[in-house]
Amino acid sequence: MRSYLLTTAAAAALALAMNTGASAAGWDGADDLPTSPLACDASAPAAPAAKPYDGGKAVNAPDKAGKEISVVDVPKLIGIGYFNATSKGIADAAKDLGNVKVKTDGPTEAKIDEQIKFIDNYITSGVDGILFAANDPVAIAPVLKKALSKGIHVVGYDANSTPDAREWFVNQAEFNGIAKAMMDSMAKEAGEDAAFGIVTSTFTTPNQARWIAEMQAYGAKCHPKMKWLETVEAQEDNVLSFNQATTLLNKYGDKIKGLFGMTSVATPAGAEAVTKAGLCGKVAEVGLATPNAMKPYVHSGCVKSVVLWNPIDLGYAAMYVMRAVVDGKLKAGDASVDAGKLGKLNVVNGSEILLGAPYIYSKDNIDKFDF
Amino acid sequence: MTAVASSNRASRARIFLRHETILAAMLVVALFGLGLFNDRFLTIDNLLNQGRLMTEIGLIALPMTFVIVTGGIDVSVGAIVGLCAIVLGYSWKNLGFPLPLAIVFTLVVGAAAGLANGLVITRIKVPPIITTIATLTLFRGLAEGISQAHSVRGYPDWFYFLGQGDVFGVPTQLLVLFLAIIVFGVALDRTTFGRTLYAIGSNETAARFSALPVERVKLAAYTLSGLMASLSALVLVSRVTTTRSDMGMGYELDAIAAVVLGGTSIFGGSGTIWGTVIGAVMIQLLKNGLALTGVKGDATIMVIGVVLIASVLIASSLQRRRV
Repeated sequence: MRSYLLTTAAAAALALAMNTGASAAGWDGADDLPTSPLACDASAPAAPAAKPYDGGKAVNAPDKAGKEISVVDVPKLIGIGYFNATSKGIADAAKDLGNVKVKTDGPTEAKIDEQIKFIDNYITSGVDGILFAANDPVAIAPVLKKALSKGIHVVGYDANSTPDAREWFVNQAEFNGIAKAMMDSMAKEAGEDAAFGIVTSTFTTPNQARWIAEMQAYGAKCHPKMKWLETVEAQEDNVLSFNQATTLLNKYGDKIKGLFGMTSVATPAGAEAVTKAGLCGKVAEVGLATPNAMKPYVHSGCVKSVVLWNPIDLGYAAMYVMRAVVDGKLKAGDASVDAGKLGKLNVVNGSEILLGAPYIYSKDNIDKFDF
Repeated sequence: MTAVASSNRASRARIFLRHETILAAMLVVALFGLGLFNDRFLTIDNLLNQGRLMTEIGLIALPMTFVIVTGGIDVSVGAIVGLCAIVLGYSWKNLGFPLPLAIVFTLVVGAAAGLANGLVITRIKVPPIITTIATLTLFRGLAEGISQAHSVRGYPDWFYFLGQGDVFGVPTQLLVLFLAIIVFGVALDRTTFGRTLYAIGSNETAARFSALPVERVKLAAYTLSGLMASLSALVLVSRVTTTRSDMGMGYELDAIAAVVLGGTSIFGGSGTIWGTVIGAVMIQLLKNGLALTGVKGDATIMVIGVVLIASVLIASSLQRRRV
């Protein structure tokens, strides 16, 4: 009820702010950054221009190379499937490494100041390393810098902080990688000349806006015949997403062959809309979503590909990066790091470790995941 | 002779049984108990740092005590924190105000938000809980609408002095909180304004018939609540270096918990600033002490809940005995 009221009030305020007229033309990602579409074929992306290391450094960290360390993992919040999965990956890695004691602890709601307090308390209690997924890249920076200044190693995953507040960040997927996976999946399922619509959160939500900008750039380069019909906002609201998807289907009728869901709410809602409209097989639903929400639609055959990364691997990689930093095996300027069963992962953007290409969940593998 | 002795004993017992006294004793016991478990808990560094972290809630809990003493409540304070954070960032970055002016403007907006609450409550006679639930959604919605999900960063360094700096080793905002505690404590305990607050909470009709300025005093209490929420927003933004529209979410509950734990009756008419301060310190240090002892976040919340219930039970059983 409260969130409904909030949404209503927010919508009213939006209208007041006269900002509802955002047009689909010229997606800029709402952050003034240039797009960088990947190559159309599956070839490995050209090595990005080497950027000097821009991460921070733990001050006078005790030398614990090869010794047992205690690490705490503070995700955005605890108790949800996604971060249970990253936490499992972290625990798996700790087991494989054999010389790490790790625990996951964090706020039960994704609140910036709660997360800051948790990290602050762990700094006081004295750990060797902190893994984090930031609720806000800037707000978390002061407390992370404090950790670094006390000789605690800091590695992020899933959601970054400002680079100088941590040593490394494990990047689950680059924006252009997600964009490529989305557009390629759609072209494969709906055809190279398909017309499609997009349901997103809001035009300015950082990740989504960036993904759409990259999709536009990659589409223009690699799937020039595909037709972009319309992009609609649906917050991250279940009912609104369903309604917006249904509206798109009705408005464009036979013309629309594909529907993108940009949020983990919009994708299952879009699949439900396609199912309810009896358009399974005629309209392809492709989007970012978590496996559990998509299982019914994937099993019914209505949805063929769900794009995301593998959060278990993400946590696993983060733990290996932490160990490598403590052991001195990952230093500024290195080009790759060994991540156990994941093999070698590449360093990108100065101080980020790229997990790899996005993971595509399909009928064959989706049941292996529970989040 | 016996009568005097017994009344003497009763008044001594009353001081001993006062809620604040019991709470203070519990606090000391909890402090040393947790200190025994963890040698990093009872250090000056940690305690000062905890003071830094509790300031935002503390600043809100002080006027909240006033409001609750009158028998009212203000659940919109968390949303005012969010709105004020956004107003600060927006007026500085987008409207081009110089930062000092933006700070003053933010305080004005906070006070105006509180005044709006007060006006609806006193003029239109909408019950405080309903008024402030409504304005909670309104203020939060405004914050989200104005900010458009963009956060404002990159404040000049001098601004961080409030939230991250210290004076002779004491966090800046803790000094602000100390000052506010004294002002609010004296106002409630030693002034006509304070006594009027109690009178309204005990019996509003009687207060009205006694020619007390009921409406004006209530208006002042809610305005103070909004003003202090905006001060809290300034401290918070300065501490975390960015503004977001979801800032301060849930602060109202933390502040109310501190006030009620401190012995203020939710029905109005009784309560002290000192009790609220002990309540706030107790919640902050319990959370911190439990975390340092290795208790996980979700379990900590449960412990806080149990402490709250226990303290309310003790308070109500004491009150019954007093009557």
